[in-house]
Amino acid sequence: MMALFRRFETAIDNGIGRRRLSYLLIALIIAFFLWFPNDTSQSNYAKTVFISGFFYAIMSSSWALLAGIAGQFSFGHMAFMGIGAYVAGLIARDGITFALLGINITPESISAIGSIIIGTIAAGAVGLVIGWLLLRLRAAYLALFTIAFSELFRIMMLTEYDYTGGSNGLSLRPLLQIADVNVARQVEYYLMFALLIVCLLGLYWVANSPIGLFLRAMREDEDAASALGVNVVRYKILVFVFTSMIVGCAGAIFYSDVGSERIIPEQLEILQMSLIIAYAVIGGMESLIGAAAGAFISRYLLEAMRQVVITLPFGMTTADGSDAFVWDTGFWRFALFGVVMVFTLRYMRNGLLYPIITWFSGRDIAMKETVAIRESDDEHAARLETDDE
Amino acid sequence: MSEINLELNKVSKRFGGNQAVDHVSFSVTKPELIGMIGPNGAGKTTLTNLMSGMLKPSSGAIYLNGRRIDGHPAYHVTRAGLGRTFQITRALGRMTVMENMLVPGLAHNPGARRPTLVARAHEILSLLTIDHLTNELSRALSGGQRKLLELGRLLMLDPSVIILDEPFAGVHPRLQDTISNYIHRVHDSGKAIIFISHNMGAVFELSQRLIVLHHGAVIADGEPQVVKSDPAVIDAYLGHDEDD
Repeated sequence: MMALFRRFETAIDNGIGRRRLSYLLIALIIAFFLWFPNDTSQSNYAKTVFISGFFYAIMSSSWALLAGIAGQFSFGHMAFMGIGAYVAGLIARDGITFALLGINITPESISAIGSIIIGTIAAGAVGLVIGWLLLRLRAAYLALFTIAFSELFRIMMLTEYDYTGGSNGLSLRPLLQIADVNVARQVEYYLMFALLIVCLLGLYWVANSPIGLFLRAMREDEDAASALGVNVVRYKILVFVFTSMIVGCAGAIFYSDVGSERIIPEQLEILQMSLIIAYAVIGGMESLIGAAAGAFISRYLLEAMRQVVITLPFGMTTADGSDAFVWDTGFWRFALFGVVMVFTLRYMRNGLLYPIITWFSGRDIAMKETVAIRESDDEHAARLETDDE
Repeated sequence: MSEINLELNKVSKRFGGNQAVDHVSFSVTKPELIGMIGPNGAGKTTLTNLMSGMLKPSSGAIYLNGRRIDGHPAYHVTRAGLGRTFQITRALGRMTVMENMLVPGLAHNPGARRPTLVARAHEILSLLTIDHLTNELSRALSGGQRKLLELGRLLMLDPSVIILDEPFAGVHPRLQDTISNYIHRVHDSGKAIIFISHNMGAVFELSQRLIVLHHGAVIADGEPQVVKSDPAVIDAYLGHDEDD
C-alpha cells in the first residue's frame, strides 16, 4: 500500500506537481458546489444541509484564526454570532435612535441588508470591548471569561422575552423574498456559499499577511513577541474585532431566513460552541481550510446519521416483517462524533486533514530535507567530537 | 552608526516588601561591551525587564536616545532601539526559524519587502552558523541553537542597545565561541551591548566596562580590572579570601 502511494507521490512530483494538483482539486471542489443545486435529483433538504454546512464552516474557520492561529481560546464565538443576528433582527423590527448623533432609524427606513450591516458592526464593537477586557487574561482564564460572557448573553436573550421573544426566538427580516421555494433554496445556497468563499479569502489574507505572522508569534509567547516589536494589544483586539464581525455578519445573514427563519437562545448554548470547537479540532485548528472542511463534513455526516438503515442478512426480518432495521440514532450520533474527537486529540492533534494539507503544500518535503541536514550535521558534530578526543 | 544614549536615573522597583532594584543610575553613551554581574537575586533580570519595558519602575526614569521609555510597552521600547534576549530562551516554538526571524523584521520595518528581509535573515543565520535550520520548527532546536536564534532575531531589529541575559548559560563550549564572536561582531558594528552572565571568565574576557549589582543597587561601575579589586565587590560578590 505504502509502495503504491510512494509511486503515486513520485509520479505527481515529477509530473503536475503538488501545488498545481491542489489548485486543480480546489477548482474541482468549487465546481462541484456550484453544480450541486442544479442537480434536479437533489432535494431542498439536501441543499438546506449544505447551507448549514457552509455556515458552520465560516464559524469554525474564523474560530481557527482566533484560537488556532492567534491562540485566543475563546468560547464566545457563538455569542458574537448571536449579537449580529439579534441586533439585525431588533433593528429591523423596532428601529433605533442615536439621539446624540441625531440619527433615527425606523423599521420602515431600514432594509434587511442595512440591518445586517448594523448587526455586523455591533458584533465588531462588542468584540472590541471583549478583546480589550481580555488583554491581561490568558489560557484557562480567557476561556472561563468568554464562557461567562457567552452565558450572560444567552440568558439575557432568554429572559428579555418582550424584546427577544425568549425561548421562541426572534425572526429577522427576510433577506430574500422569492416566492418559488425551489428557486429560493437555490439562491440561498449560492449566497451562503459565496459568503463562505469571501470569508475564507479574508481569513487567508490575514493569516498569510504580516498580521498572521504576528498573531502566531503572539500565540507562541506574548512577552517574546512584544520584545520583538509586536504590538500585542493591537493585534489581540484586532483579531477579536475581525472574527466577531465575520461571525456577526454570517449569523445575521444565516438567520435572515437564508438558513433558518429565527435565532433562538438554544443556538448560543455551550454545547453549540463546543461543536464549533470540535469541528475545528477534527479538521485542524491551525488550518483555516482544514477547520472549514472539518465543519462541513461533520455537519453533513451528523445529518446523514440521523437515521441509519441496516439491511438484515440471511433473509432475516424484523417483527413488522421488514428486511431492514431502521435505527433513529438521536443523540448517539454525537457520541460517535465524540469518539472521533477523542481519537483526533489523542493521535492526530493537528487534525484529521493535516496529513493531506501538509502533503499538498509540500511541507513534508521541507521537513524531510531538514531532518536529513540535521542528521548529517549531527554526524559532522560527532566526528568533530572524536577529533577533539 | 546609530545614536546611543541610554540613561537610567534613580530607577527603583519594589515587589511588595522586596526592593528588587534600588535607585539604579548609569548611562551608556558609546558602543561599549558592558558586563553586568551580581549574585542571585541581585536584581539583574528585574533591571533588564525594567529597561526593556516588561516592567514599570516604581520610581525613577529611563531615557533612550532622548526619549523617556520607562512605563512604555515592550514593543515600543524595542522599536525605539533597545533589544533584549531572555535568560530562558523564548523561541517561538511552533514557528520555523525563518518565521522567527521575520517577526522582528516585519515588526520593525512594516513596509519592507519580504524577499529583502528573507535575504537579510539568511545572512544573519549564516553568521550564526544555523542557516541550515531555516525551515525547522524552532522547538526542535537545541538549547544552544535557540540562544543563537534569539541573537539572530535581535539583529533583525537593528537596535542601538542590546541586552543579553545569560547568553552563555547551558551552552556547549563550541557554541559559546560562536556567541562570543557574535558579540564582538555586533559590537564592532557600533552597538552597545550589556550582557548579564555568571560565567566570570567570559565576563572578564569580553567586558570593557563592568557593572556590579547587589541587593538591587549598583555597588561598582567601571573598568573590569578596577572593579575586580573593589573591596565592596569582593565583599559582596566575589567573597573573602580565607587566608586574608
